[in-house]
Amino acid sequence: MLEINDLHASVGGSEILRGLSLSVRAGEVHAIMGPNGSGKSTLAQLIAGNDAYTVSRGTVELDGEDLLPLSPEERARRGIFLGFQYPVEIPGVNNAYLLKAALNARRKYAGLSEIDAFEFLKLARDKMAMLNMDPKFLNRGVNEGFSGGEKKRNEILQMAILEPRLAVLDETDSGLDIDALRAVANGVNALRDPDRAIILVTHYQRLLDYIEPDHVHVLSEGRIVRSGDKSLALQLEEKGYDWLREAASA
Amino acid sequence: MNQRTTPLQSIDTLGAMALDAPGGQPSVTPPADATVAAIASQFPANWLVIRNGKASDVAAQLPGLNVALTQDVLSIQVPAQLVHDGIVGLLFIDDTENGAGMSHARVVIELQAGSAVNIIEYHSTIGNAMHHAHCAMELSLAAGARCNFIRFQDRQTQHDQTGSLTATLDMDSQLHHTAFDLGGNVVRNELNIKLAGAGAMTCLYGLFMAGGDQHVENHSRVDHLVGPASSEQEYRGIAAGASRCVWRGVAVVHRGADGTNASQANHNLLLSAAAIIDATPQLEIYADDVKASHGTTFGGLDQNALFYLRTRGLDDAAARRLLIGAHAGKIVARSPLPALQARISEIVAQRVATLIAEEAP
Repeated sequence: MLEINDLHASVGGSEILRGLSLSVRAGEVHAIMGPNGSGKSTLAQLIAGNDAYTVSRGTVELDGEDLLPLSPEERARRGIFLGFQYPVEIPGVNNAYLLKAALNARRKYAGLSEIDAFEFLKLARDKMAMLNMDPKFLNRGVNEGFSGGEKKRNEILQMAILEPRLAVLDETDSGLDIDALRAVANGVNALRDPDRAIILVTHYQRLLDYIEPDHVHVLSEGRIVRSGDKSLALQLEEKGYDWLREAASA
Repeated sequence: MNQRTTPLQSIDTLGAMALDAPGGQPSVTPPADATVAAIASQFPANWLVIRNGKASDVAAQLPGLNVALTQDVLSIQVPAQLVHDGIVGLLFIDDTENGAGMSHARVVIELQAGSAVNIIEYHSTIGNAMHHAHCAMELSLAAGARCNFIRFQDRQTQHDQTGSLTATLDMDSQLHHTAFDLGGNVVRNELNIKLAGAGAMTCLYGLFMAGGDQHVENHSRVDHLVGPASSEQEYRGIAAGASRCVWRGVAVVHRGADGTNASQANHNLLLSAAAIIDATPQLEIYADDVKASHGTTFGGLDQNALFYLRTRGLDDAAARRLLIGAHAGKIVARSPLPALQARISEIVAQRVATLIAEEAP
């Protein structure tokens, strides 16, 4: 589904990704781990279309289509979803309004009619119940005054409603207490589907106790230095990233 | 804080000239007049039409209120204890189809003790010739009176407007005022509010939106003469193109006005590099027991928010509309006549769209 090949990308003149290649098939959950500054968030932002990053080499394709010339909204309509590490507060923009506008943008692209108000409300309420979210969040400003955990749940709510083909969740586990982590993990697990792929960007193995990945990759200095199954995450937890750096340089 | 002074002294002179000018013939705008009808259909109010500064035919339109026209001064008196539940509309319409001109209107509104009234003041123009309109309004609120007031200015961009509202608030009276400036060429509005009785309260909100080479100024001054009393000011600005806007909010807490609560806020969105907004919050405090605050912010559109919305599938223009609309929407939501908010929102949204179109690459 997602094919990244030899990707080089820089921001403000400094190269962050240095020949990253990654292949994600439908139905898979991939975890991308790595130390601070290894390029994890850059990769997530780049897949979503943030034009702050300059791609100097390599390709990113979704189902064979070149993603790089597409705007963020064109990617979203094709089913790419980025769960932000730091969800943006947008005072004055109603959460329900954004959810509905986002869903309708995706439906319109798919040739479907706009969802009607009742149907939307039912859908939103169902998904919120799954995430243990108070329905009152629907009528608040987008992430306005939300706690860290509430913001992350709101990201997962958006994902659950949009039903993306490819979800990239950037450190969705950071700053969550154990209840919020479980709620978020339930939301992600409920979306596991043979037609959908999920990329989890995370620092910690903890999230992977709740969402079992099919593949684990370690990113270091802008490229993937090790790939394996979920046991790789446990090894990392035990030995730290230095172990891999040493292994890589040996 | 930007301390630049604005070169608009001459405009007041222009207004004074208009006072002495012979002025156009008083003309009654028939209710069938297309523009009047169009505005009246959008805003449910009992409209009094003031055409080219002249009001006429004022009888029997506002049941329960005493309305008089003396030497071109339109007087409205709300009798004691009368709670007028409709909306009084003052439609200032300047017709320039017969050439350039000036107009001067004076309105005096008196709310007697315990009375309440809702007012919308709407400024519009017909035709494309140059015009300068001046409107001076006096408002007095006796003890316990309440007034909800909207000023809505949507003139053509070749028409100038200067206007002032002077209000005196007696004991326990309340004035909730919201101003919208969407059009006009050179516009300058003044609010002078005197809190003269204990327990008086005023909220002054405003939204100004300018593009092209529009020049829009809003000056408000609240005098806290006694305490306890409270005033809250919040103006929001959106400037595109090479427009220039000014907001100056003054609160003076006089000696002895203890128990005063005065706040001022001004939040501005600059949509182009050439647009300028000058803001001057000003607090002068001569009393001891006072709570006062002020805050002014400036910024462009939040690029992170823009990207966030686009990753949710909204195109760039829709995302901009949403963010600018949210900035403006705060004032619409605070405006005092809920029955008018939906239509005001639509007009504001249309103005947002034209400002975005102006900035489109």
